[in-house]
Amino acid sequence: MLVLTKDYQEPYQMQNNFLRLDYLENNDLLLVIILIFGILTFASLLFFLLGKLKPDLNLVELKSRTKSWWFMTIIFLAATMFSTTISYFAIAFLSFVAFRELYSILDFRNEDRYAVFWAYLAIPIQYYLAYIGWYGAFIIFIPVVMFLILPLRLVLKGETQGIIKSMASLQWVIMLSVFGISHMAYFLSLPDIPNFEAGGRGLLLFLVFLTEINDVLQFTFGKLFGKRKIIPKISPNKTWEGFLGGIISTTIIGYFLSFLTPLSGFEAGFVSFIIAFSGFSGDIVMSSIKRDIGIKDTSQAIPGHGGVLDRIDSLAYTAPVFFHLVYFLAY
Amino acid sequence: MQRIVLQFIYSFFLKWTLKLFIGVKFDNTDFLKEENAFIILANHNSHLDTITLLASLPPSIIHKVKPVAAGDYFGKTKLLALLSSYFINALLIDRKAEKKDPTQSPISKMIKEIDNGNSLILFPEGTRGEPEVMKPLKRGIGLVLAKRNHIPYIPVYLSGMGKTLPKGEKIIVPFNSYVKFGKFQRVKSEDSKKIISQIEHDIVELGMTRKNSA
Repeated sequence: MLVLTKDYQEPYQMQNNFLRLDYLENNDLLLVIILIFGILTFASLLFFLLGKLKPDLNLVELKSRTKSWWFMTIIFLAATMFSTTISYFAIAFLSFVAFRELYSILDFRNEDRYAVFWAYLAIPIQYYLAYIGWYGAFIIFIPVVMFLILPLRLVLKGETQGIIKSMASLQWVIMLSVFGISHMAYFLSLPDIPNFEAGGRGLLLFLVFLTEINDVLQFTFGKLFGKRKIIPKISPNKTWEGFLGGIISTTIIGYFLSFLTPLSGFEAGFVSFIIAFSGFSGDIVMSSIKRDIGIKDTSQAIPGHGGVLDRIDSLAYTAPVFFHLVYFLAY
Repeated sequence: MQRIVLQFIYSFFLKWTLKLFIGVKFDNTDFLKEENAFIILANHNSHLDTITLLASLPPSIIHKVKPVAAGDYFGKTKLLALLSSYFINALLIDRKAEKKDPTQSPISKMIKEIDNGNSLILFPEGTRGEPEVMKPLKRGIGLVLAKRNHIPYIPVYLSGMGKTLPKGEKIIVPFNSYVKFGKFQRVKSEDSKKIISQIEHDIVELGMTRKNSA
């Protein structure tokens, strides 16, 4: 009995420690962080040397992309490294910025402002539900509660001209930018599993790292070997070579990073394969939206990448898919 | 003291609030320090326009830039007038004063501020209009610039503010917006009508160029 209470109290006290450097105290997480910074350093050195050796190559975009990767990595790690509470706020803010970006490029009517305001209010509620770990409410709040309320709010304004488009757009905006992304926060509320030290942070790092490395690898394989286009109408740069190269290498990386998850190596490889595929799907779904509006990027927030949404479009798909796979397999 | 208060409110607090929560993209305005006095002329769609423009300014000159505001609105009571002239640094003008007392006319008040070495922020449309649509400009600014043609003006295009907080609405719904500053311009004519159309052309062009490049 005495042993049990001691075991129970320890994690509780640690959570109250506001400036606990979780990543640096867990060797598994630290290893992956070193790996990430290794990749970034390698990329920066590579483009620097390429620029020196072959000055006629145009590396401006690649260099600014790499520079932005440094910033994004540091911001992401800083936001998730210190305390769980900060992580919830940071991911909620990410949702907010993505929501604002998507709302601003879609042509909403003036009458939609009130419904959009309510949709904005759904962001803190959704993240609060993630914070308190109320799984049932978290999972239905947006796709059931908000999906029923928002059309009603639009109707109460009394203008039916163009209301179908507003209803559909608003629901898709909140789905992509809030519901999908909020799963990243729920990882931190998952219960502890015995002998699985990396915990929710490990899963979050696994998801974000694999999603982003898959984007980068698909881009790289496509640039190097890309010949056959997959969907030229939506995204002219997507090729079969890039797609397959990205999926295969992401699956292999996921297999070796299985120590960040409670899954076996085989399971982690399978889940990574699904992450790679859904990342690609999120990417082309966002591309098709942009193509319809007639823009290339959702904003100019991140140099070399475009808007925040351009960077996290794949996460909007991979986060819920990966979350539910892990939830099914391990919890 | 007012200078520090304004710097804190606009250059720090409101600037970051607008950036992070409203999604305003600010332009680099350091070039404004090159001239002593100038007139900022912008399109007007929202109550956020004035604070966004003040937040755009370089902190070192913020106390020397006065937004021109309608006295019948921002100076309804003595207290309100006092607050507006302290916290918004507003120059209150009475749009109907001309007939009663020429020295209190908006034109002579604005000229007096310029002669004192202050700069002005003015919305030549006179009042807030529909988002992204320019209204015909009022002639007042043409008269001021005709009399002080050595003073440069800067056309500014504000986009998206009318979506975040339009006229007649009470709630703020964040919308990605931007402030685009043009370059210093000087009037090319003595005729106030020609000056007005020059200004209108400059502001509209600024909005168009930005839209195409985005």
